[in-house]
Amino acid sequence: MKYGDLEVVKGVSLAVNEGEFVCLVGKSGCGKTTLLSLLSGLEKPTKGRVNLDGREITTSSEDELALFRRDNVGFIFQSFNLIPTLSAWENVALPLFPIKMTSEERRRRATELLGKMELGHRIEHLPSALSGGEKQRVAIARALINNPKIIFADEPTGNLDSSTGEAIMGILNKLHKEEGVAILMVTHEDELAKTANRLIRMKDGEIMS
Amino acid sequence: MNLRYMLKELYYQRRRTLMSILGLSIGIALLIILNSLSSAYRQAAQVPLKEIGADITVQRSGDVPKDLAGAVFPCSAVTIRKEEVEKIRKLPGVRGIGTGLLLWVFDPNRAWIVLGIEKDNSIGPSLLRSSVTEGRFLEDGKPEALVEQAYARQFGIKLNDTISVADDKFPVVGIIDASRAAKIAIANIYLPIKEAQNLAISSKELQSVSPYAPGDVNLLFIKADQEKITGLASEMKTILGNKATVATPDSFLKLLGSLFALSDKFTLAASLIAIIVAVLIAFKTMAGNIAERAREIGVLKAVGWTNRNVVSQLMSESVIQCFMAGILGLLIALVASFGLSFMKVNIPIPWEMSPNPHFLPGGGDQIFKTLRLPVHVPWNLAFFAILLSIIIGGVTGGLLGRHISKIKPSEVLRHE
Repeated sequence: MKYGDLEVVKGVSLAVNEGEFVCLVGKSGCGKTTLLSLLSGLEKPTKGRVNLDGREITTSSEDELALFRRDNVGFIFQSFNLIPTLSAWENVALPLFPIKMTSEERRRRATELLGKMELGHRIEHLPSALSGGEKQRVAIARALINNPKIIFADEPTGNLDSSTGEAIMGILNKLHKEEGVAILMVTHEDELAKTANRLIRMKDGEIMS
Repeated sequence: MNLRYMLKELYYQRRRTLMSILGLSIGIALLIILNSLSSAYRQAAQVPLKEIGADITVQRSGDVPKDLAGAVFPCSAVTIRKEEVEKIRKLPGVRGIGTGLLLWVFDPNRAWIVLGIEKDNSIGPSLLRSSVTEGRFLEDGKPEALVEQAYARQFGIKLNDTISVADDKFPVVGIIDASRAAKIAIANIYLPIKEAQNLAISSKELQSVSPYAPGDVNLLFIKADQEKITGLASEMKTILGNKATVATPDSFLKLLGSLFALSDKFTLAASLIAIIVAVLIAFKTMAGNIAERAREIGVLKAVGWTNRNVVSQLMSESVIQCFMAGILGLLIALVASFGLSFMKVNIPIPWEMSPNPHFLPGGGDQIFKTLRLPVHVPWNLAFFAILLSIIIGGVTGGLLGRHISKIKPSEVLRHE
């Protein structure tokens, strides 16, 4: 993947199997977030191809990618990226808004997921009224709303203190084990990567191991 | 498009939403007010003619009488031949003609302004019927007269008196309040047109200046198809010659001297400027709001919103804002129009149409028709303004939405 003359990700060949928990570890600026964007369809590679669930997404249009992401992919971001004007349950239901569905059904599904995240008492709260850990749990619930096949998590504990970070990792591990969701997580912390099935190190845009 | 999300977003950014609404609403209000004012002036300009049931009046100027003795024509209203009247009657667009005969009668001890009227023609001074305050209106075939109230009071003329006009005697059968009458048809005495024609025929002085035959007149009141008035005015001038004075609502409009009265073009230009400025304010405010939401748009796309979903959402927000602006603009315009409707306008009556001899005391004074400006907001203008505001919302939201939906989620979602 090139930005101008800068090759950010080079010669990467990577596979994540169904139900696998893979951690991508590397220092800041090594290209791991860019690689995540490529693999999730948020960006298109300048060379090469990406297959998700047996489908090549490199040649798809933007709208086709968006629809594919909606049905197959969940995202968890370091900055949570919740919509500030929407309540917790509305943020969780955000991927469902364009789908023809009753408001009650959206609310039911969102509330159920928030219950699993132990946020049943915070469903009407705006993000500004939630702690960092609570926000990230809302983000995880949002990532799960459409029963994705894979979750892409970009430094999900980056903005959290260590104990909250551990709690979030606990949730991700539980998801992986109980729901069989594949997870590709990007982190710069080796400690967090220990819980993964597989660890991949990245340096200067290349996979080292 | 999600209604809940849309309303929450508008409420969350309520200061900005309010600014956007206010900006556009002022433009919409100005559009409505300017057009309503213009329409009001146009309607006001029609009143002097409407009061005598006409859309056009016609007269022809000629020579000044040499001797002010007996019955003469005012120099501003000389003979219009019967054949000319028939030619005008046949013009396409002419729906009806009323005629009148205006005379100045100089008796040894009094001067009269005499107007001969067609009693039964609904076009023209017969509408004075509703201004009778004493007695009755004229009846068929009788040589009788109506006297104008102020004139009767001044000269002590009462109901059932007999007046002598150019040696002909006429019983007074009614008194008319001219202050309620059309300013164009004011006289001291009203006679059946046949009697006035007899006076004209038998006047040597009149015949020497402006030859007159039975059936001729010197005033025409014409009812016409509205869209053909301007064309008809031109054709009548062709029939009657350069000395013809053809008065239409446009003539009165020009005399008003107001900017709104000047032309539709001024109103259109002013309205366009108001709208353009309002749209720019709304656009800038909305653009600012949307630019701040780039990250949010990135999240929407990341979780599976297509470009169309994003554009639809932003467009809906914009349409709602602009619709509210349209409603607010309409309310402002209604209040302003109510206030403006208390304004009075003085419509000058052209001197050629004044019946008073200008060489007599007060004869040269300008006559005005004073009335309240009929300012109101027609429903079709209100509907158009609301529709326009919705269209502005759709276009603005669509353009801004399309622009912002092209952002790459990966660029805006990187952790800062």
